[in-house]
Amino acid sequence: MKGWRDASTPHMARSLILMSAGAAVGLGLAGYGLFTARGTSTLHVPPEDVALVNQQPISRVDFLAQLQSLYGVDLQHASPTEREKVLDDMIREELFVQRGKELDVASTDVDVRNAMVNAVELEIAADALSSAPTEAQLNRYYQEHAERYAKEGIMTLQDYVFPLGQFDSATAASAAFGATPPTAETAARFNGKASAKMGDEQFYFAAKIHLGDKLFDIARTMADRSTSAPVSMPDGIHVLYMLKNIKPFPLQYAEARDRVLNDYRNASISHLRLGDEAFLRKRANVLIADDLR
Amino acid sequence: MQVWIGICFAVLLLPALVYDGRRDAHLLAIDADTLVLHPDLTRYAVRAGAGEFAAHCAQCHGSDAIGDPARGVPNLTDDDWLYGMGEVSDIERVITYGIRSDNPKAWNLARMPAYGTLHPSVNKNITPLDPGQIRDVIEYLYYLQGRSRDQDAVARGAAVYSNGGGCFDCHSIDGRGDSAIGAPNLIDKVNLYGDGSREALADSISNGRQGVCPGWIGKISPAAIRVMALYVYSLSHPAAAKAY
Repeated sequence: MKGWRDASTPHMARSLILMSAGAAVGLGLAGYGLFTARGTSTLHVPPEDVALVNQQPISRVDFLAQLQSLYGVDLQHASPTEREKVLDDMIREELFVQRGKELDVASTDVDVRNAMVNAVELEIAADALSSAPTEAQLNRYYQEHAERYAKEGIMTLQDYVFPLGQFDSATAASAAFGATPPTAETAARFNGKASAKMGDEQFYFAAKIHLGDKLFDIARTMADRSTSAPVSMPDGIHVLYMLKNIKPFPLQYAEARDRVLNDYRNASISHLRLGDEAFLRKRANVLIADDLR
Repeated sequence: MQVWIGICFAVLLLPALVYDGRRDAHLLAIDADTLVLHPDLTRYAVRAGAGEFAAHCAQCHGSDAIGDPARGVPNLTDDDWLYGMGEVSDIERVITYGIRSDNPKAWNLARMPAYGTLHPSVNKNITPLDPGQIRDVIEYLYYLQGRSRDQDAVARGAAVYSNGGGCFDCHSIDGRGDSAIGAPNLIDKVNLYGDGSREALADSISNGRQGVCPGWIGKISPAAIRVMALYVYSLSHPAAAKAY
């Protein structure tokens, strides 16, 4: 028996006794937790929380935010009544959420279902948002989608409309409009008038809406201080005079980085969500009725 | 022999773990905004927070925390705060839930619309501005900063700012912003994006701004979040930092 004190030599009895003691302690703890009324529980509230409701934490950060939101005070300046009210409200909310889970409210309430879907999607997005892509990754994304990153074009255009059937007048007006911007009087000499479709400078997207596709496609190719040929439209014959045309031009990576980062993150989130959905479908047992297969 | 070394190591390590746990518990139990009144805890937190900052925040905010206006990353060492008043609890909330991180408890409200695009906002019905209106509103901002003398443009810009553009809704009628929602002050000398030039402002107004700060809840421990918050606080409160 003296040999059991020597840790350098194996001792069968010592090993068996230690193992048995460890197993007995573990079984005792497990049994206590299993057979007592409340089961295993955390007896103390973790320091980062203000309460535990059936082991579900109410975080201290949320409590402070709620206190600030409801009463406009921090913890130091909140009265005991205010603290109690906020805590009671948060406990009540947690109890009802837990009750909602027991009642499986999500299976019947559309709003709850939508909220849960949104919440799960946000959880997926959180992983993408907390990882910062490298400059190399962003640059590669920019190169692959360079067509998205351009400065919007701007045009300053005058649009004159002539009565239907007076194509010759419109042609003559087009010839008369020279290097200087035409005036309303000039157009009136040929029975034309400003259409009021275009004001001063317009971004290309706005000009397209105001002019329509056909006139816009002509306008975007015009040089500064140039006149278009007459264009027949349902509301009359149009002649365009371009004062200044700043065409869209590609942004360098440094100028577009902010947008590139935003798009990269959105693409990552979308990719993660699709991946998660594929995973959920793969592991789920989905049965579809015969008439809808 | 190795067994005894291992046992001794475990015996020495266990008190250290217990001490760490109790210290973190004490750190979390105290109100965040009164922590600076506990020099020993604060000293520990600032040292530990520097490491956490380097691991999680420096890749955007820089190791010196002065940010980058070219990327819209805020300077954490000055006294200009987009969200809240720069108290430890405010900083802690940002680190916990993020900004525009899509966590429901994050600061998600402030999204600068892209007024130079067909749909300035994804979820709000906002009318685009034309280039002239954007220039005029910039003149108005310059006027508020005491830098513009083009009275006609300023008057037009004021109308855009307080009516059609809806800028006042977030940035306040006096242009001083609103830290309750993260709308920047437009008339001080701090520029979140760019250098405050007309070109930089035109870029922000035309293309919008929606920088993101991730939330760290669930990714690092609450104690790590708290020490980071204290560290960031110490960067902008050098007088207090000297005390610890």
